Parts: sequence; structure tokens; C-alpha cells
Amino acid sequence: MDKKTMKRHISPYTLLLAAAVLLLSSCASHPDVPSSSKEAKCLPAIYPDYCDVTVPCNIAPLNFMLPADEYEACVARVTTPDGKQQIYGQGVKVQMPEQEWHDMLEASKGKSLKVEVWGKKDGEWLSFTPFEIRIAEEPIDDYLSYRLIEPSYVAWTFMEIAQRNLTTFEETQIFNNEITMNDRKIGQCINCHSYQNYKTDNMLFHVRLANSGTVIVNDGKVSRVNLKRDYTISSGVYPSWHPTAKLIAFSTDLTRQGFHTLNPNKIEVYDLASDLILYDVETDSVQVVSNDSTLLEVYPTWSPDGKYLYYCKSVPLPEEMHDKDIRTTYPKIQYNLYRRSFDVATHNFGDEELVYDAASQDKSATLPRISPDGHYLLFAQGQYGCFHIRHNDGDIVCMSLDQELPLTQAIDLTKANSEGRPDSYPSWSSNGHWIMVASRRDDGNFCRVYFSYFKNGKVEKAFMLPQEDPELNTFLLKSYNRPEFMVEPVKISVTEFSKVFDK
Amino acid sequence: MKHIPIICTLLFGVAVLLFFGLAYPHHLHYQEQYQLFLFDSTYVWEIVKQPGGVADLLGRFCTQFYLFAWVGALIIALLLTAVQMLTFLALRQAQGPFAEGFYGLSFVPSFLLWFFLLDEHALLGGVWAVLITLLVLWPIIKMTKGWIRCTLLVVAILILYVLVGPVCFPIPVDSLWTGAHYYRYPRVFPWLLWAVALSIWVLVGIAFLIRRFPKHVSHLSPLASHLLTALVAVAMGTLVWKNSNFKAEKVMQYDFMATHQQWNRIIEAINKEKPNNQIGVTVQNLALAMHGVLLDQMFNYNQNGIAGLLPDVKEDATSPIPTAEAFYQLGMINVAQRTVFEAQEAILDFQKSGRCYKRLAQTNLINGQYEVARKYLSALQKTLFYRGWANETILLLGDEKAIAQHPEYGRLRQMAYQEEFYFSDHVTPEMLQSLYFSNTDNRLAYQYLVAYYLLTGDREGFNQFMSIKNEKDSI
Repeated sequence: MDKKTMKRHISPYTLLLAAAVLLLSSCASHPDVPSSSKEAKCLPAIYPDYCDVTVPCNIAPLNFMLPADEYEACVARVTTPDGKQQIYGQGVKVQMPEQEWHDMLEASKGKSLKVEVWGKKDGEWLSFTPFEIRIAEEPIDDYLSYRLIEPSYVAWTFMEIAQRNLTTFEETQIFNNEITMNDRKIGQCINCHSYQNYKTDNMLFHVRLANSGTVIVNDGKVSRVNLKRDYTISSGVYPSWHPTAKLIAFSTDLTRQGFHTLNPNKIEVYDLASDLILYDVETDSVQVVSNDSTLLEVYPTWSPDGKYLYYCKSVPLPEEMHDKDIRTTYPKIQYNLYRRSFDVATHNFGDEELVYDAASQDKSATLPRISPDGHYLLFAQGQYGCFHIRHNDGDIVCMSLDQELPLTQAIDLTKANSEGRPDSYPSWSSNGHWIMVASRRDDGNFCRVYFSYFKNGKVEKAFMLPQEDPELNTFLLKSYNRPEFMVEPVKISVTEFSKVFDK
Repeated sequence: MKHIPIICTLLFGVAVLLFFGLAYPHHLHYQEQYQLFLFDSTYVWEIVKQPGGVADLLGRFCTQFYLFAWVGALIIALLLTAVQMLTFLALRQAQGPFAEGFYGLSFVPSFLLWFFLLDEHALLGGVWAVLITLLVLWPIIKMTKGWIRCTLLVVAILILYVLVGPVCFPIPVDSLWTGAHYYRYPRVFPWLLWAVALSIWVLVGIAFLIRRFPKHVSHLSPLASHLLTALVAVAMGTLVWKNSNFKAEKVMQYDFMATHQQWNRIIEAINKEKPNNQIGVTVQNLALAMHGVLLDQMFNYNQNGIAGLLPDVKEDATSPIPTAEAFYQLGMINVAQRTVFEAQEAILDFQKSGRCYKRLAQTNLINGQYEVARKYLSALQKTLFYRGWANETILLLGDEKAIAQHPEYGRLRQMAYQEEFYFSDHVTPEMLQSLYFSNTDNRLAYQYLVAYYLLTGDREGFNQFMSIKNEKDSI
């Protein structure tokens, strides 16, 4: 075919194709609402459930779908408070373009979007009861990072620490366990990403087994350190950056796992021993904070002003259980919440104060997090143990710190927690208005990220991290592990991180 | 005489077909079970975007047919024959009319590929990489000359690197080769595949050189030519045969039979030759127990203590799977689930397994974890050969009556633990005891428990168990 002939064929073809694509995309994005429908008199069973939720004014589009095995099509009409309307729907999915969505959010700040949904079932359109999406004036932090990992037992395969822009659907990799794994038979585990004050110039994550070490970013400079000392039981495990100083509190843990034959919790993660240490990033020195060999101290976290270190500590077992095997005693191990004052100038800790006595209520409290304004405390609570993300009774608890210690009065978090499925790993957005939890509420096995609006001690219904394709949460056979808010992305590339392993 | 090259090619293809179909079929089943080819754009893109991704994708696509060993053998035979023919065409293009004399040499890369594929961790993507390289390079050599040929070759190699990886230009740089998905162990340099690629370049290079020699040097007599072909066939055929791992094939056969619950066939196999490896003994004991004769006949065969009955879960992808089959048949559903999960996580190239997904869906279904089962079944619905099963099984989710009536799931629900029991990596007699007393109709649990006492010589434990059993029986 000569050039001229090619040109002759290509130009009209390209134009036609472009026109067809435009036409198709416009049809797909903005269909008409059904001309006639039967009233269903109930809310639509959309997935994820975004009915009557309160969302940040900068969140990515809340795309959703009707169950594909029940419905043939779905159409949604979104109305802003000023009366503007957009209609979406393609197949059973409703996917909204980012710009249009953000325009609607902007127009609805502090007010609500009205959403009407129609579903086609057995050839007939059903119209569901409209619902509202309230748009909070407070934004959510722009970024979120998490580890994506199969809900594993002992072995694991590919895993990555990823960061997600919460205002869009962009997800990029911070690190993976493939690039520096020099011995795949040994394997490599990457975990416990952590940031100072929601920023990424000072951050860390651990690399275990093959090519191991803790990768620390100090004012943007990457290094790999070994946190194990002769006088510690392990290297650093669960971290917490001091909010102002280059100090990181870690627990050191001898962690083990066991498995249930019948219990739906399936896996039990427990510590044989655990202590607390303080790592000085500038001097590479490790100071023991507490190492009571008879008790387990874990999950340190700083108050936002850096004047207190909060942590969990197990209560002594009854004497008759002292010589018993952990497989017998594990349901009796319970943790309370404590704190110690901290002098950043001298690195001295004050006396221990009991913050919350969970054991007295036959409960175990873990993973404390203090709100940025210092007025509230979030933690995970279950009947026993330290790993509530594997406990179906695991729930998030919130308490006001403006009461006398030990705390007793909890805020109602019913709207944020799930019924009978694990909820754990709570955290606060940097403005203190968004609570984030990792939850297995969908199916009991795969962790997903949920957010709840928080204002003046009141909590709104939790909603799932939105995805461009709402079905992703159904098909993704990975768990979102250790979700952490960030106000900016990690700027160091995977390759740059990997270079510290060459040294 | 002029048809002899074609006959040789056909004979070669038939030899490859028969070898993989008759002598090596379970290596193909083994390969298939450590991947899960999904008809899904995200899955395809994740593969294709890597250097060598197109070859890898084609390799994975073909590997799914290994579920049927003869189809897999036919695919390999066709690919290796195609490589031989294209090598010959490239040689003829380079050497000119006298290339026919060196026909035998065109078999060298295909024989090396055959040698490469003897290793159960060698992936078919490597063969596709060689084939695509030849498919692209041969027409360039055929249709161009001089600097145009050189330029096109450089451009083609750059594009080929993206499509098929470093096979297109065999520089032995470790990071290039270990980064491509030619071998299941990502850090292993696939020397044989490198040798294949190198052999093609060397042969074509020599062919170009020979062309410049006088006719009496470059032209082989028909006899010499046939002798050369025979020499290549005998030498390389011997090399392939001698390096075939028939011991591994036997182990894989046991694993295959256990997967497909071919208990009678297993008994036939162990009566022909008593297994003497961990997987074989585990499968042998399971088959004996399924026939209800474990306690009567176990010592007629090789035993390996507890390691041959219910071995500890090791961190590899192969050995836990037959053990998981035993756990599953026993009714230890959570233990089976964990064991299969660990096996899948241990697949070294991070692939998933159709067989493991299937078992994970089954165990979650039996446990009543329907939403989790649905996730695995939804993935299997995107496959070619597991789709039908997934479509049937997904209908069972939540249908308690249908599950109770199902011959396998209903039985296993009845056999499952009734009391919570906490376990770690080792199977203990207490676990089997608890299982047996959950349902004393569970004859498999009874056989395994008594076998456990017999293999460990734990007379005291056995007596204790019998006294509890007698006590319960008398109530």
C-alpha cells in the first residue's frame, strides 16, 4: 500500500474511530434515567455501601455497583444542592469521572448530594429510595499508604507497600519485596511503614529475612540500619515516630502464631516476650524503655505534643497459669493501656500511669492512637490478645482524654464498627476529623480500609475506600494492611530505596 | 532423498510428543498447577508490561493446556518443531543453497530447548521467546541486505527485547536474564536457554562464514549430511534421555493421582513399585486409608514415621499439597486450608495456582465462609478449564441443603471438628483424637490416629485412647 492510499484509508478511519469512541464514552457516562420504573421502596443494595454516609470534600469518586448476579443494569442520578444533575451508569456499575465528581463535591461542601438509583432486574427497572451523601467541609489527608498482602498464615508471596492518592485513584508503589530479595527461598517480608507527623521526609519500614534491616528516611536521606542490640530481645518491630524529635519508639517482640481447628478466627498471633525501646535516629543508639520479663509491652504511640508515650502492657496471669503453655494461656492474656511522660531534652521517662483498664472488663486493649488535638484516644479492643485484626470481636473504641485517668467513658462508635467481624488498626487523619480502620467486615478474611467522619465526639457511618472499579474490592485477593494517613506522597522511588541494600 | 529433512523434522516432533505424553506427562501437570491463567485484562497487562512479557504470556497461555498432558505434549512438539524449521530457514538464508547439507545442525537449538524443558521449573515462555525471535529475524535476513539488514536487526532486537526479553540477543548479563520470567526461580540464570539463543546466533554466523568458503568445503555430500543429522540426533537425544528426571516424574505422578483422588490407581502403582519418598508415602497411606486398609497393610509398604503420614508443613510449594489432601479428606478443613495456602504462597515466581484456588474455595465453602469462597470462585470463573467447575460450585454458596446433600462437602462437614482445638505446625495425636471423637464414623481419622501410635510406638497413648473409646462406646 503506498503512502497516499494509506493516508486515504487512515484519516477517515481514525476520525470515525475517534467519533465512535467519543459517542460510546458519552453514552456510557451519561445515560438517560429509565422512562418508567417500579418503586422498590427500599435503599439500593449498592456495593460499597455509600448510602447516607458523610465523606470528605476532597475524596475520590464514590463509584459503586449493584450485585451483578441480581441486576442487569444500574443508573444513578446525582443532584447537587444547587439543583444540577448528572446521570451515570454502565452495566451494573456507576463510575463517575473525577473532574465532574470534584465539581459536585465543591458545590455541595457542608451540604448533601442526593443520589437516586435505578436497577434493572429481569428486564424491569426498579427505582430505589433515594439516599444522601453528606459532604463534610473538612478534607481528608491527600494520601494513604498500606501494605498489600494476602491474608496469610506463615508463608507469604509478593507483597508491596503502596500509596494511594485519596483524591484520585492513583496508586503507586513505595517498595516491594521482590527488588532486593537476594534469596527467594528464605523470602523477604516488608512491613511497618511509619511516618513522622504524617509527612514522608522522616519515615521508615522494615525488611525482614533476606537482605534484612530497617530502612529509615531521615530528612529525605535513606539508610538501612540494624536495630538489634545484644540487650534487646529482637530488632525494632512496631514503631512510632516522636512528633518533633528524631526519635522512634519501638516494641521488640518475639512473635509466634498458632491456628484454630474450628474457631472462625483461624489464626492466633501472640508474643512470647515483648519490650519497648527508644531509637535515636541521629546517634543510632537504642535505649530500653521497659523490659519487664514477666509482662508484655507493645504498640507504643506518642501523644501529639510528644510529652507522653502511650503503650499496651499485659496484666499478670493468674498464678495457677504461670507454668502453662501459651496454647493454654493465650485466651487469658489481656492488655491495658498505659502512658509515661517523656522529657525530650533528657530522654527520661516518668512513672507509668494506667490510662485504661481493659482487663477489669475482661477485655484487651491494643494499638492506641491519640487524636491530633490531644483530646481523644482511639484503640482496638477484643476479649483477649494483641492481634484483634484476627479476632471477630475486635472493635474500635474511642475515649475522651478530658476525663480522669484511668478512662472509663467511651464514645459511641457503633456507626464505625462492624458486627461480628474484625475491626482494628485505628488512626486519625491529620486534622482529626477522619477515623480510619482496617476491617475484615466484608467477608471475614480480606481487610479493607474504612473511614468515618468524626466531629465533637460524634461519629458517622463508615464508608469503604473508593476504587475506580467498585468490583476491585470483590476480586482483589489481597488485604489492606496497616493503613496510614500521609499529607504528602513518599517521594523516594522503589529503585532509590533498593540502593541502600547494595551497600 | 529430498524428503528426508521433512521426515527428520516429523520424527523429531513425534519423538517430543511421545516423550512428554508418555514419559513426562506429570511434569506437565506439575507445571499447570503452579499457575493460574486468567482471561482478565489486568492480569494480562501485569505480564505484558514486563520485558519479555509477550513470550511469558504466550507461555502461560499454553501452560494452562498442560492440564491435559497430551495436549501439552503436542504444544511442546509443535513449538520445538517450529523452532527447528525456522532455524533451518535462517541457516539456509545465511548459507545459501548448500545449507541442506547442514540440516542436522538446525536441530541443535530444539534439542537444547527440550533439554531445558526437562526441568520442572523451566517455563514455556522461554521457548516462545526463541520462536518469536526466529519469526522476526528470519524474514529480516531473508528480505534485506547490507546496512538495511543491520539497521533492521538492531531495531528488531530492541523491540524483541521488550516482547521476549534477552533471548533475542544472548549477552550473558545476569541481571537481564534473571529479570525475565523464563525460569520459576527468579534469581537462577537459565544457562540452557542462553545456550539455545547463543546456538542460533552461532549457527547463523557460521553459515554466513561457510558461504564464503569454496564449494568443496561448504557443500556436504548426502551421506555426510545424513551422518551429521544422525550424530546430532543420537548425541542430543542421549543427552536429553540421560538428563530426564524420571524419579521426580514418579513423585509427581503420586501427587497427580492424589489430586484426582485416583485411589485405585495409587494402590496399583504402589503394588508395582513401593514409593520411597515423602510425597509417595503420604499419598500411599492416604490411598490405603481411603480403602480402609491402612492399619492392615501399612507395614507391607515403606513407612517414614509421622513424616510419611501427616508431615509437618514445609515452606515449599510442592510437599505440602499431598499432605493438604490428607487433611482435607480427614475433615481437618482449617488445617487443609492453611496447608494449601502456605503451599501457594511458596510458589517462587509469585504465581497463583488453579489447584490451590479450587481447594481454598472448597474449604471456605465447607466452613460456611461463602463470601471468601466466592472470591476464589470468581477468579476461577476467569479461567478456561476451571470455569465450569466454578460456575457449578458458586451455585452451592449459601445453599445449606445442597451442601449437606453434596457427596463430598456434606460428608466433610459431618466429619469436621465439633470442638475447638488449637494447633501449631505439628499434627498431634490429640488433634486426631479430637477429630475422631467429633464423629466416630470418621474411619479415616481412626485409621490415622492408630497409625500415628503404631508409627511412633506410643503404646501408652494408644492405651489411653482405647480406654476413652471403650468408655464412650459403652455409653
